[in-house]
Amino acid sequence: MKRHLIGRRDFVKTTLAGCGGLLLLPSEAKAQETKSVESKGKERKFVYRTLGKTGLKLPVINMGVMNSDNPNLIKAALDSGMVLLDTAHGYMGGRNEETIGSVIKGRPRDSFMIGSKVSLPQDRSTGLYLEGATTEEFLRKLDISLKRLGVDHVEILYHHGVSRKESVVHEPVLKAMEKAKKEGKIRFAGISTHMNEPEVVHATVDSKFYDVILVAYNFQQQHMSEVRSAIARAAQAGIGIVGMKAIRGGHRQTPTVQSAAAALKWVLQDPNVHTIVPGFTAFEEMETDLAVLENPKLTEDEKKTLQKEASLTSLYCQGCRQCLKQCRNHLPVPDLMRAYMYTYAYRNLALAQDLVLSLNLPNHACEDCSQCSVKCSVGFNVSAKIKDVVRLKDVPSEFIG
Amino acid sequence: MQCRAYLLPGLRIADRERQRRMLRAIGLILGIVGSLWSPAAQAAVFKFPSVNGWKQVGEIQRFDPNTLYEYINGGADLYLAYDFEELMVAEYQNDKKAAVTVDIYRHRTSTHAFGIYSQERSPGANLIDVGVQGYVEKHALNFLFGSAYVKIASYDTGPEDQTILLAFAKGVAGNLGEKGAFPSIVTVFPAEGKVKNSEKFIARKFLGYPFLHSAFCADYEVSGRNFKLFIIEGKDQADCRDMLGKYLEQVGMKDKSVVEGPYTLSDAYHGEIDLRWRGVRIWGILDLGDPGLRATYFRLFEEELQKAK
Repeated sequence: MKRHLIGRRDFVKTTLAGCGGLLLLPSEAKAQETKSVESKGKERKFVYRTLGKTGLKLPVINMGVMNSDNPNLIKAALDSGMVLLDTAHGYMGGRNEETIGSVIKGRPRDSFMIGSKVSLPQDRSTGLYLEGATTEEFLRKLDISLKRLGVDHVEILYHHGVSRKESVVHEPVLKAMEKAKKEGKIRFAGISTHMNEPEVVHATVDSKFYDVILVAYNFQQQHMSEVRSAIARAAQAGIGIVGMKAIRGGHRQTPTVQSAAAALKWVLQDPNVHTIVPGFTAFEEMETDLAVLENPKLTEDEKKTLQKEASLTSLYCQGCRQCLKQCRNHLPVPDLMRAYMYTYAYRNLALAQDLVLSLNLPNHACEDCSQCSVKCSVGFNVSAKIKDVVRLKDVPSEFIG
Repeated sequence: MQCRAYLLPGLRIADRERQRRMLRAIGLILGIVGSLWSPAAQAAVFKFPSVNGWKQVGEIQRFDPNTLYEYINGGADLYLAYDFEELMVAEYQNDKKAAVTVDIYRHRTSTHAFGIYSQERSPGANLIDVGVQGYVEKHALNFLFGSAYVKIASYDTGPEDQTILLAFAKGVAGNLGEKGAFPSIVTVFPAEGKVKNSEKFIARKFLGYPFLHSAFCADYEVSGRNFKLFIIEGKDQADCRDMLGKYLEQVGMKDKSVVEGPYTLSDAYHGEIDLRWRGVRIWGILDLGDPGLRATYFRLFEEELQKAK
């Protein structure tokens, strides 16, 4: 088998694509302020920004509680100066909200804020709502969440996991949010998106309905510049921007970032992001976040680390799945791109071969088409990569360790 | 491509050929054994059930640790922490367009499946007798079955919701094989004051410390006091010594010698913690300020540990 890992030309091309605009950021936020905060008995100076037209003043890093079942970690985050706890109706089957409820019990209501999320049944392949996605169901879930949290209102309630512009303005959700606002159960209406983010963010601005957007945004996103532009437009419209998935890249699991602090700081260099809610489950991770909260400025070394890592992301399919509709031969292109990633990024031929063999590919995949009908959203030469990686089918397994 | 790299130097050609054949045979055997034991092979033999009045729609979807994000997005982190290996998803519909989705998550061990199940189970859950244990709520039924965590969700099923969920649960359980049991170590938590069904397995970063790799714990409520008992099982004594040594360092006691016995630590994040180390186990009490009650619960805990020996 002829081995050519990444051709030099390909490498240069993909590296440039990965780094494109990475550090071409606007200057840091002018609308930020530094506030002295008592953090576990010590005085620390944390950077605060205002969450758009909501007027809420928040530290630039808060806690994504999502995977934490540790009440003492949440207590420590609040005692250290974080204010906003980010959770959702569905996290840990509801136990996440209950854990928060046990921590905030007895604390002054103005000493913390809560952002929670409610989702309704969606068609997984289209991202559109199903018939049962009703106002009543949305409000029923909100009431359960308030009960678990032990509060009569949350500061932000997000319309959870939206990936299509049509879903942004799903009438039953808008009605539910309006009713909840009137009844004082939520202060601000938000929307969260971690797939097809630019479309959702633009539709949110156009809807003129929402106060806050929670959006996946990180230095490894291939469509980062589109996300950045959409965020800028939303911030300009007065919408509060909360960043998520600053360390992990959304709907795919990236290899661990070399510097979590640098990844967080990268998002905060964008003045249009008002706060971020990274998840943490260990005290040392919280301490990293607190250090960034004191000084979110990227160092030169951190910039170099980010550039190096961003160049690697060009090996990763972003999972937009648009290719599935385009391929004339109905090949499972995202799976094949994953196999390519296993081969060249992970250097795990066994994993790649297992995947290729499990796909039941036709013989001579891609050989029959004179011109590839797939226009990859991140510019992969899909047919070349497929032709390359399907050769693993013919390698005896025992030669692959 | 040749397999020269695998061959030992200095062998005659005939010997080399024999060795080459042997290596191929070993590779083949390992490959077959590997595939038989892999979750993918288990998945291949698993058959989603037929339920009266319901039709399976679409293909069965499969997700592995690299693709779980496509299905549950950020929720995948928690499942990965519990050594998730594979997810199979089947969707059903009836004539009225009501829908049921069956998710079968397979984890590396039954303890890890218990762990993720215990993270999502509420102590006040409406328990049902399916698999090792299960519970049902409106539009959802979850249960534990060996190394599988099964989650069934319904949609637009009307007043028959729970009956439908149960029918699916029984069908799935009937096709999954040996149901297994709770990890035996959960029996060492004393019954007095224990919050029913509060036992958990924390797979990583117990107490928020990466050096405490995993632990079992249970919640207690006694005379209005809420506290937690926990037990950590080390791989061996050296593992326990390492964990304890790092914990002592964390709380500023790095000069204390690490020997089996009792410890009282003043932890900046958790307050005062009493714990004991013996053999391959470290156990302790969290969030309990009353020294008398702590002593009582250590005695009860140790009695149970003795019984379990």
